[in-house]
Amino acid sequence: MATVELEAIGIVKRYGPLVANDHIDLSVLRGEVHAVMGENGAGKSTLMSILYGMQPPDEGSIILRGAEMHYRSALDAIGAGMGMVHQAFKLFNSLSVWENVVYGMEPTRAGLIDRKKAAADVAALAARYRLLVDPNAIVGKLSVGVRQRVEILKALYRDARVLILDEPTAVLTPQERDGLFDVIRNLTADDRTILFVTHKLHEVMAITDRVTVLRDGRVVERMVTKETSAREIIRAMTGRAVNLKVEKGPSQPGAVVLAARGLTVGADGGKPVVDHVDLDVRAGEIVGIAGVAGNGQTELIEALTGLRIPDSGTVTLRGKPVTALDVERHRDAGLAYIPEDRATTGTALPASAADNLAMGFQRHAPLSRSGLLDGKAITAHARDLIARFGVKIGSEKLPVKTLSGGNLQKIVVARELSHTAPLLIAEQPTRGVDVGAIEFIHGQLVAERDKGRAVLLVSAELTEIMALADRILVMFDGRILAEVPAAEATEETLGLLMAGRVAEAA
Amino acid sequence: MSGSARSSFRLPRIPAVPLAVLVGVVLGALLVLVSGGDPVAAYREILIGALAPANWPNTLNWAVPLVGMTLVAAIPLRGGMVNLGGDGQLVVGGLVAALVPLYLPGPGPLLTIVAIIAAMIAAGLYASIAAWGETRFGIPMLISSLLLSYPAIGVASYIVGFPLRDTTTGLAQTVMIPDAARLPTISGPLNVGLILMMIVAIAVVFYDRRTVGGYELRMRGLNAKFAGYGGVSLGPQTVRIMFASGAIAGLVGAIIVLGSQYRFQDGALLSPGYTWSGLMAALLAGGEPLGATGAGLFFAALQTGGFAMQRETAIPRVLTMVLQAIIILFLAIRHGVGRRAS
Repeated sequence: MATVELEAIGIVKRYGPLVANDHIDLSVLRGEVHAVMGENGAGKSTLMSILYGMQPPDEGSIILRGAEMHYRSALDAIGAGMGMVHQAFKLFNSLSVWENVVYGMEPTRAGLIDRKKAAADVAALAARYRLLVDPNAIVGKLSVGVRQRVEILKALYRDARVLILDEPTAVLTPQERDGLFDVIRNLTADDRTILFVTHKLHEVMAITDRVTVLRDGRVVERMVTKETSAREIIRAMTGRAVNLKVEKGPSQPGAVVLAARGLTVGADGGKPVVDHVDLDVRAGEIVGIAGVAGNGQTELIEALTGLRIPDSGTVTLRGKPVTALDVERHRDAGLAYIPEDRATTGTALPASAADNLAMGFQRHAPLSRSGLLDGKAITAHARDLIARFGVKIGSEKLPVKTLSGGNLQKIVVARELSHTAPLLIAEQPTRGVDVGAIEFIHGQLVAERDKGRAVLLVSAELTEIMALADRILVMFDGRILAEVPAAEATEETLGLLMAGRVAEAA
Repeated sequence: MSGSARSSFRLPRIPAVPLAVLVGVVLGALLVLVSGGDPVAAYREILIGALAPANWPNTLNWAVPLVGMTLVAAIPLRGGMVNLGGDGQLVVGGLVAALVPLYLPGPGPLLTIVAIIAAMIAAGLYASIAAWGETRFGIPMLISSLLLSYPAIGVASYIVGFPLRDTTTGLAQTVMIPDAARLPTISGPLNVGLILMMIVAIAVVFYDRRTVGGYELRMRGLNAKFAGYGGVSLGPQTVRIMFASGAIAGLVGAIIVLGSQYRFQDGALLSPGYTWSGLMAALLAGGEPLGATGAGLFFAALQTGGFAMQRETAIPRVLTMVLQAIIILFLAIRHGVGRRAS
């Protein structure tokens, strides 16, 4: 176990004035699971892209099995035995598993792809590491967890000795996650090395051998997992102790603010994506929708907010029917909405922070009068929100694409919370956000609830749902499978429900 | 962004647009040289023809429709939409502007005003058809706006070729508009159309920078999904913007018909290619109206200079169109003109 497999020495990477990696030393032993942790913008992604050859470091060197590496591209790194499973899978959905795996290095016979050999090789590889996959299945029809196995197979087929897993569990059910951990154990037993990039502390505690913590582009701590604790790691990541538990009193539900009845989306193409969903959200409560991403939550929220007109069913907002109305009318009726994707929906990246923060306020005083914008009021509004929500940005005139994920999310949260709408829909409000910002956003959501707002929270993060929600609805395959009072929810029952296994959960 | 630390040598940073113009001028000069001409003389004639004080009225007169059609393209482009139907809208406006003073009774100046307003409304409505088709039936406006030009051009051609033809001439055109209904001239070829177009350009820039509608259009251009999510109803906005865009095309048609041609002649509005020069100018500025107006003026000067060059030297004025194209292509290579923010 004591051989060093991969070493990074004095890695420096600058983007203009920003130092993303500041003399990072990393040493990974052969056959270990090594966690790289850090808040957003700590430099994890930059470091991984350098180790995987996607960009060269400005200074420093990479030593793989004793030899210094000079990658020109990721292809060199793959050739040297590196593999990476990205957060967003890079697969051809219309092709079969084996076609995806062998793509780029197909076994050939007389210049043609040897399909039989390819499929057999992939099957053998899958069996060896107990990665349960049917090589002939079409990737687009597989669940997310299985697709991830295809990505791992892809790397193994190229004989990756070091495998970088970038936030691998973000899209998995707890059961799928446990399956992944089994695979990781099989890989390390075969002396392969895993670099595990994650935000999730309990996973680090469960599967890793050692942890390297980054903060502000530097290594702040190297720890042996067995000898440390989650609290210690958080302290290292944030430089302070973070309260993971959310302080909140019991909810005091009032009148129904949002009601959906028989809501169905996408019935035309056979199986509906959202299938006869009924739900109520009352003033002063947080209703959580738990579920693995891709089980209809996105479409449900689109139908509730007016981004998509449902095929059948009704939505009422404060007693007003809004089913077939657009977002503008929903917002007029009392909707604030933190969308799932801050970069593609929640903001216009090239626009300034002031412009982004003005959205939704532009038609009314003080930001405008009789159709004319008041530039001073827009600036004041932006400065006020930036200060109140602690967004780290040099000036409200800067485009928001320069912001880190957590700060960008704060822009969205700040804007939506400052709409004093009776209904707040928060979709994955802390996805990819660092621990400090999570704590802040959670606190804000509870504060809004206590002010008497109705909050509908959608999250793939069970800990988040369990910490915040007063009632939990579990969504699977387009349907609400069950309602669980927060007090009775455990990770295990919710996990089983999220996988659609109602009988076992009961 | 990822500037390598090792490279200490850097080209001096020339802003994109001057650089593109420079490249165009150099390549154009080579082209002239290769074909046996004198590039220095060619460029001198272009400059004199466009910018010598005596030629300003010509340049400005050419700039009025060109800048107008630039705004026609720039307004939707600002919101990430494309109106390729400028030709059809120009013809609808021009035809209506000719028919109103010919077939309605009333005092001349009133007829002029009514003709302009009717031309703008007609062309605006015609452009809105494409918007309506996209929001109601999902027909991409990029295609429908272009395709809708052909029926407009064809029907106008038929109307002035047969039922409403001036039978005293051999051409497909209407009779002359009465003197009283023509746009008053300022001096030489310049008429009140110049002032109207200046007002429109200022109004568009003001709308873009200072109004709620302008803000919503800009945000849509930067991220349409964001604008829709933020509560901007994209469908009605599409129709409004296309109406405004078409109305300006109608105004351009009316200015040409009432101010310089005094009749609607089949094909006469389209042969100078204002729509496409305007579209290029709008692309050059990424839809930003002030920059687009500047680019439109620049192209107008270039084209007016081209006429002078063709008169004074043996070099055909196509050279200026080549220059225009090289500039756009070069900008597109370096900076992704018109590329959507990702």
